[in-house]
Amino acid sequence: MDLFFQTLVNGLLIGGIYIAVAAGFTLCFGVLHVIDFAVGEWVMLGAFAVFWLNFFTGVDPLIFLPLIMVLFMIVGYYFQPLLQRVITNQQSNALLMALAFTFGMSILFRGSALTLFGFNQRSLTTFLSGKNFEILGISIPALRFGATVFAVLVTLLFMFLLYKTKLGLAVRAAAERQDVAGLMGIDSSNIARIVYAIYLGLTAMSGTFLGSIFSVHPDMGLRYTLFAFFVVVAGGLGSIQGAILAGIMLGLINSFVAVYVGGQYIFLILFTVLYLILLVAPKGILGKGW
Amino acid sequence: MEYVDNSQKRNLIWIALLVIVATVIPFAISSFWLRIVTGVLMWIGLAQSWNILAGYMGYVSFGHGAFFGLGAYVTAIAMSLGVHFIISALIAGVFTAAFAAIIGYPTLRLQGAYFAIATWAFAEAIRQIVLVLPFTGGAYGMRLPPMLNENFFYYMMLLTIIGTVAIAYYLMHKAKFGLKVKAIREEEIAANVLGLDVTRIKISVFALSAFFPGILGGIYAYWITYIHPDSVLAPVIADQMVVMTMLGGLGTIAGPIIGAVVLFMGNRLLWVFWGDTSFYLVLVGLAVALVILFLPSGLVSLVPRLGKKDKPKVDDQPNSSVTEHTK
Amino acid sequence: MKFKTKWTIMVVVLLSLSLLLSGCGGPKQSDDGKNAEAERDYFKVGVITSLSGASVYGGNVTRRGYDLWAETVNAQGGIEIGDKQYKVEMVYADAASDPATGADAVERMVTTDEVDFLFGPYTSGVTLGVAPILEKYKVPMITGSAESPLIWKQKFKYTFGSIPAVDLTGSAPVSTLVNEVEGGAKTIAVIGVNDAFSKATAEAFKANAEQLGLEVVKYDIVPEGTDFTPLVGAIKELNPDVLAVGGHEQTHMEVIKAAKSLGFMPKAFLMHYGITTPDFINNLGTASEYVFGGAVWTSDLEYSDELWGSTKEYVEAAEARWGNMPDYTEAASAATGEVYAAALAEIGAVPPLSEEEREQLVDALENIKVDTFYGPIDFANEGDWYHNNVGLQPLTIQLQNGEQKIVGPSDVKVADPIYPVPGWEER
Repeated sequence: MDLFFQTLVNGLLIGGIYIAVAAGFTLCFGVLHVIDFAVGEWVMLGAFAVFWLNFFTGVDPLIFLPLIMVLFMIVGYYFQPLLQRVITNQQSNALLMALAFTFGMSILFRGSALTLFGFNQRSLTTFLSGKNFEILGISIPALRFGATVFAVLVTLLFMFLLYKTKLGLAVRAAAERQDVAGLMGIDSSNIARIVYAIYLGLTAMSGTFLGSIFSVHPDMGLRYTLFAFFVVVAGGLGSIQGAILAGIMLGLINSFVAVYVGGQYIFLILFTVLYLILLVAPKGILGKGW
Repeated sequence: MEYVDNSQKRNLIWIALLVIVATVIPFAISSFWLRIVTGVLMWIGLAQSWNILAGYMGYVSFGHGAFFGLGAYVTAIAMSLGVHFIISALIAGVFTAAFAAIIGYPTLRLQGAYFAIATWAFAEAIRQIVLVLPFTGGAYGMRLPPMLNENFFYYMMLLTIIGTVAIAYYLMHKAKFGLKVKAIREEEIAANVLGLDVTRIKISVFALSAFFPGILGGIYAYWITYIHPDSVLAPVIADQMVVMTMLGGLGTIAGPIIGAVVLFMGNRLLWVFWGDTSFYLVLVGLAVALVILFLPSGLVSLVPRLGKKDKPKVDDQPNSSVTEHTK
Repeated sequence: MKFKTKWTIMVVVLLSLSLLLSGCGGPKQSDDGKNAEAERDYFKVGVITSLSGASVYGGNVTRRGYDLWAETVNAQGGIEIGDKQYKVEMVYADAASDPATGADAVERMVTTDEVDFLFGPYTSGVTLGVAPILEKYKVPMITGSAESPLIWKQKFKYTFGSIPAVDLTGSAPVSTLVNEVEGGAKTIAVIGVNDAFSKATAEAFKANAEQLGLEVVKYDIVPEGTDFTPLVGAIKELNPDVLAVGGHEQTHMEVIKAAKSLGFMPKAFLMHYGITTPDFINNLGTASEYVFGGAVWTSDLEYSDELWGSTKEYVEAAEARWGNMPDYTEAASAATGEVYAAALAEIGAVPPLSEEEREQLVDALENIKVDTFYGPIDFANEGDWYHNNVGLQPLTIQLQNGEQKIVGPSDVKVADPIYPVPGWEER
C-alpha cells in the first residue's frame, strides 16, 4: 500500500512541475490562438539565464525567480509584435504560420545555445536540491514539492488576475471575441502583448525549476515541448483549469504506468490516451477548450 | 482556373526540359552531390504529399512522418522475409495508404489545431509501438542488405517524385476531384450541404497523402540500409515537411518543390561549410523565421507566375484572421 | 485530353530510360582528382561524429580525443613512415546524430575530400549507417566510441572499433559486486533507456547478474525522456542491494537526483558509461561519489606509449588541452590515431593512399597489436566481436574522492571497493 501512495505522490509531483508551463501556454493559445513550438526552448533559455546568474553571483537559483519572471516578461512584451505580424499578415491559417515561425525560432534558439554555451550538461543546485521529507512513510522530494507549490500558487494568482480584475476581464474579452472586444475599446494588441509576456515569464520561471530538477543543456527543451502539448491539449486548448487537471493526469499516468505496467509503455500509453481524448472529447477533459 | 493552352504548352516544354536534365544528372555530378540531390528529391515527395492534404484540403497533419517511418519498416520487414525491393516498397505504399484510411476515419472528424495535434499524438504512439514490438528490432533498429548503387536510388526517387507531383497536379488542378477537395478547405459545412460525400473525399485525400511517404520511406530504408525509430519516425520528419511547404508556398505545386530544394540544399550547404560547428542550426532557424515573417505566402510569391494561388479571391473575407478562430 | 497522353508518354519514356541508366551506371568513382593531388605530402583524415543533435555531448568527447592525437602528432613532425614524416590534416563533418546525415558526410569525405582514412562516429546508429558506404569505397574507419555489440555482428570489413562492446565490459563490475566485496550483493534492479547502447548495457548487466546467481528484482527498459522518480520509488520499495542503470551521462544524473530526492540509497549504484565523464562528477558533486561503473581504461592505469610516453603524460596533456580529465571514450579516440600511425608505418604507405594501399592498411589493422597509453589494441578477426578491440581487460571502477579508481578484478585493482557505500547524509 505504501508503494501505491508513493506512486501517487510521485505522479502528482511530476504533473505539478508542468502546471506553470501549461497554464501560460494555454492562456497564450486562448488569447493569441498560437501554438508556440518553441515553448521548450523558452524553458531552456530560462534555465540558462538562471544558470549564468547563479554562476556569476553564487546566489541560490530560486532567489532569481522574480528577476527571471520580469526579464522574460520584457522579452515577451517586445517579441510578441513579431509573432503578431506573422499571424496577421497572412489571410489564412494563422495557426499554421505561427507554428512554422515558432518552429524556426526553436531551431534558432537551440542552435544559438549550442554555439554559445557548448554541449555540456550543467546542473543547478538550489537549497532544496536532493532533500526530502517524510509524511506517513512516504518520501516527498523537497525540490519537486517546492516546484509544485510554486506552480500552483502562481497559477492561482494568475487565475485571480484573470477572473477578478479589470485587466483579466479585458483579456477574457479579447480571448472570447477579439473583434467585439476591439469595438468595446479594449486595446487588444496590447492585451496580446501582455498575455504573451506573462506566458514567457511563467515558462522561463518553470525553466528554473526544471533545470534544477533535471539538468540544463541546449537540447533540454524538446521534452518539455512534448509535455506542454500534452497537458494543454488534453486539458482543452485555452482552459487553465483543464490544463491543471491534465497536468496531474499526465503525472499520474506516468507514475502508475512506470510502476505497475512497465516503463517501456509510458509514452505509448500517454500518446494513445492523448489521441483518444482528442477523438472522444476534442475540447479537453473538462470540455472547456476552444 | 484552367489556363489558356499557350501557357500550358510553355509549361510542358519546361517540364520536358527539367525531366531531361533530371535524367542525365547522375552522369554530370559527383556521387556526393548525387546523394544530396537524391535527398532533395525525397523531401520534394514528402513535402508534396503533405501539401496535398494541408495545402489543398486545409487539414494540417503533424504526424505525417509516421507514414514515412511505417513505409520504411514495412519495406525492411518484407525484404527480410525475402520479398523483392520494388514489391516491398509498393506493399509499403499500399499498407500506409490503407492504414491512413483506417486511422483517418475517426481523426478527420477533428479540425484545425485539434487535427494537427491528434496526428502528432498518433505519430508519437507509432514510434513508441515500434520501439517495443518484437519484430521491429526495437531500439536496435533494422538493417537491410546494402545495395550500393547511388544511381538506382536516384532514379527510384525520381520516378516516385514525378508520380507524386504529376498525381498532385492532375488531381488538384485538373480533375473535378480537386474542386471538391478545395471546397472542403473553403467551407466544409457548405460542401456537405451541397451533397458532397465529404467523409469519403477526406479519407481518400488522407490515404493518397500517406501513399507516397510510404513508398519513399521504403526507398529511404533500402538506400540508407539502417533504420531506427529515432531516424525514420522522428517528429522532425513531419516538422520538415510542414516547414518546407510553408517556406515554398502552401497549396501550390511549385511551393513544396521550391521549399524542399531550398531548405534541404541550404541546410546541407551550410553544413558543408560550417559542418564542424553547430552554427548552421542558427542560420537554418533564422532563415525559416525570416521567410515566414517577410514572405508569408512562401518563396513562390517571388515568382508571380508560379505563385498564383488557386484560391478564390482572398479579399472576399475581410478580417478573416479575426473571424476565423472565433467559432 | 491531349494533356493526359503527353504525360503518359513522358512518364513511360522516363521510366524506361531511368531503368536503363540505373542498370548500366555503377557507382561513380571520382578518381579524377587523384592525379592532381598526387604530390600531397600529408594525410587527410576524416572525422565524422555528432557535433549537433541528440548525441552532441559524446560527439564532442570523441572529437577532443581525435584532435589531441592530431595536434600531438603534428607537433612532433607527423607520422613517421620510412625516414620521412607526414603531417595529418583533419577534415570534420557533423553527423547530427542521424544515420542519413552521417552517410552523406562520409560520401563527401571519401569522394570530394578524398580522405585517406576515417575516425568514426560517437553513436552506434550512425556507425551502422556509415559503414556500408565505406565498404563501397574501401576506406577504413576506426570508431573510438561506438559500443553496441550489434555493429560487430555485421562483419563490416572496413570498420573497426577501439572500445570493446558493452556485452564484454559489462561483466566486470557485476562480478566484483558479487564476488569481491564483503557480504557480496544478492539482489539487483536493472533499468535501462530504450536506445541501442543503453539497452545493450542493461541487458549485459542483467545477463551477468543472472549468471552469477543474483536475484533480479526489477528489470525495466524506459523510453528516453522518462521521469525516473516513479521507477526509483518502486525500486526503493523492493530495496535491492544494487541499482544498475544502462544509459548515458544525462540518464545517470537524473537517476541519482531522483534517488537522492526520494532518500533512496542502495548498497551500490552501478552505471557503466557516463559516470566517467567530467560533467557527471562536476554536476552531482558528492552525490556522484562511490558510484560503480565498468570501463576498460582509467587515468590510473600505467601503460607506456610511443606518442605521449605514458598514460600519465597523456592524461596531463589532455587535461592541459581541454581542462578536464579525459574519460575512456576520449582516451580511446586519442589512441585510435596511434593504431593508424603504427599500421601505416608497417606497410610503409605514404599519402595520398591508393585503393591498394588502403586494402593493405586494412590487412595491417587486422593483424597489428599496438601498445598504447590506452592499453593494447588488438582487433578480432572473427566471431561476434569482429574488428572490435579485444585486447583490453574489462575493469570495475568506482568514483572515490572524485577520481575513477580501479576496484576490480582483484588482480589489477588499485583501491578496495567500498561496499556498502555510505548514505546520502554521511558524506
